[in-house]
Amino acid sequence: MATETGPRVGGDGGAFASVGLGDRRRLLRGAAGIAGFLVVWHAASLTQDPFVLPSPVAVGGAFVGELASGDMTTALRQSVRHWVPGTIAGTGLGVAAGVAFGWSRLLDDLTAPLVRTLRPVPPLALIGFAIAWFGINDWGAAFIIAVGAFWINFYASYGAVEGVSDDLLDVGRTLGVRGDLDAVRSIVLPASMPGIMTGIRTGLGRCWMLVVASEIFGVPGVGREIIRASNNLRVDRAIAYILVLSLMFLIVDVAFRAVERRVLVWRA
Amino acid sequence: MAGVNESAAPSPGEASVALDGVGKTYAGDGDGDPVRALDDVSFSVADGEFVCLVGPSGCGKTTLFRIVAGLTEATDGRVLLDGTRVTEPTTDMGVVFQEYHLFPWLTVAENVGFGLERSDRSPAEREARVDEMLDLVGLTEFRDAYPKSLSGGMKQRVAIARALAVDPALLLMDEPFGAVDAQTREMLQRELLDVWASTGKTVLFVTHDVAEAVTLADRIVVMAAEPGRVREVVDVDVERPRERGDAAFAEYVGRVRELIGADP
Repeated sequence: MATETGPRVGGDGGAFASVGLGDRRRLLRGAAGIAGFLVVWHAASLTQDPFVLPSPVAVGGAFVGELASGDMTTALRQSVRHWVPGTIAGTGLGVAAGVAFGWSRLLDDLTAPLVRTLRPVPPLALIGFAIAWFGINDWGAAFIIAVGAFWINFYASYGAVEGVSDDLLDVGRTLGVRGDLDAVRSIVLPASMPGIMTGIRTGLGRCWMLVVASEIFGVPGVGREIIRASNNLRVDRAIAYILVLSLMFLIVDVAFRAVERRVLVWRA
Repeated sequence: MAGVNESAAPSPGEASVALDGVGKTYAGDGDGDPVRALDDVSFSVADGEFVCLVGPSGCGKTTLFRIVAGLTEATDGRVLLDGTRVTEPTTDMGVVFQEYHLFPWLTVAENVGFGLERSDRSPAEREARVDEMLDLVGLTEFRDAYPKSLSGGMKQRVAIARALAVDPALLLMDEPFGAVDAQTREMLQRELLDVWASTGKTVLFVTHDVAEAVTLADRIVVMAAEPGRVREVVDVDVERPRERGDAAFAEYVGRVRELIGADP
């Protein structure tokens, strides 16, 4: 490691120089890709009416305008108020049910027909229930989001638990693991954690998509703003709010990845 | 066969493990005929003795290993550990598998301490025991490493330490050195003999490697296949450490190979 003694320039010196360079190259290429996309978009927008395809500049203007007026932060706060409980409830119940049904043959047999009947129902089709059971409010919207999160986490956890090696369970039994609870806690859960984490991460993203669906029946938030802007042919505003969802997704995804790396530090 | 067993087996009173007429029949798939995997397997291992189980592939060694461990149920007969019938896994038996099966999410020290968590030892006692075991297998400096960063030989040392940590009466091993290279295997064999000498454990060791069995065992139980059964029990009357170049060593290897290859 002779390079370690060499002079360091910023964070790019020493043994990590090549890694830093590779990362920078990727960033540059990504930026170039976005720039190219914006150029094509702008060129295309010149040939169309703004209610069909607004220019990127118009979208940027709408974004700044909505942010400055405070409407954007208000809408985001409203969406977060049902995204958070919906995501937490759906993820928690999905993981719990997936682990329980993946582990217990009895529970699996009991629920398999029901699960197969309910699985294909899109969350959007449950809006009637959301209104009837919870009303046109954050809880109703949270319900729609929770349904989406539930199934992703259910199947991810179920699959992960099914994939736990019998050999590890055998080893556990020879070392004194007794009973379902002990086995699930000390072997099944940690062994299936990579699969469960992937499910949670996928679900977190899907929940941002479901924010639009969950606000379709009148609950205020980012999704509602997108729908309203679209109805008024204000495509620039609609895209500005879509960008908000993308940004939220990105922030949550990056944060969760950091958590995942810590939890799964034992993985190769 | 019974005569052979009796001549070499210790009296029941000092037996640590005793197999008494163990048999296993698997129901055939669909309309297939039932398969007799093991038939009337009887032998015993005395307290502190090192016994190897060898045989041709398909002789039911691994099935027998799982039955002794309490992981698979026998169709006939019984397994006694210190006079108590084995019907499920017990912490009186330390089990080591060929593929290590370490818990990848636990560090080396946590793997070794896994069984201790379920014992009535205090945390301080547990930690001392983990340290003692890591020292025994020479992995003290890797105590905080995860299994992914260990070599095959190191993983198997961790598995042995994990099995010994709960201080079992019997160490039961299924081809534990089958997945490592020849050089590492010989080193692990020497280490296992050292561990055996210093702990005085009873060892039942399954292998398909005849030279390994002759290197390690006080007695070798030679099995025959279809159905799996005991062909003969061979006393290995050679001082340890045993040298592979010795005439006596080669003679034993030849004799056991002949027994394995012989027609029923």
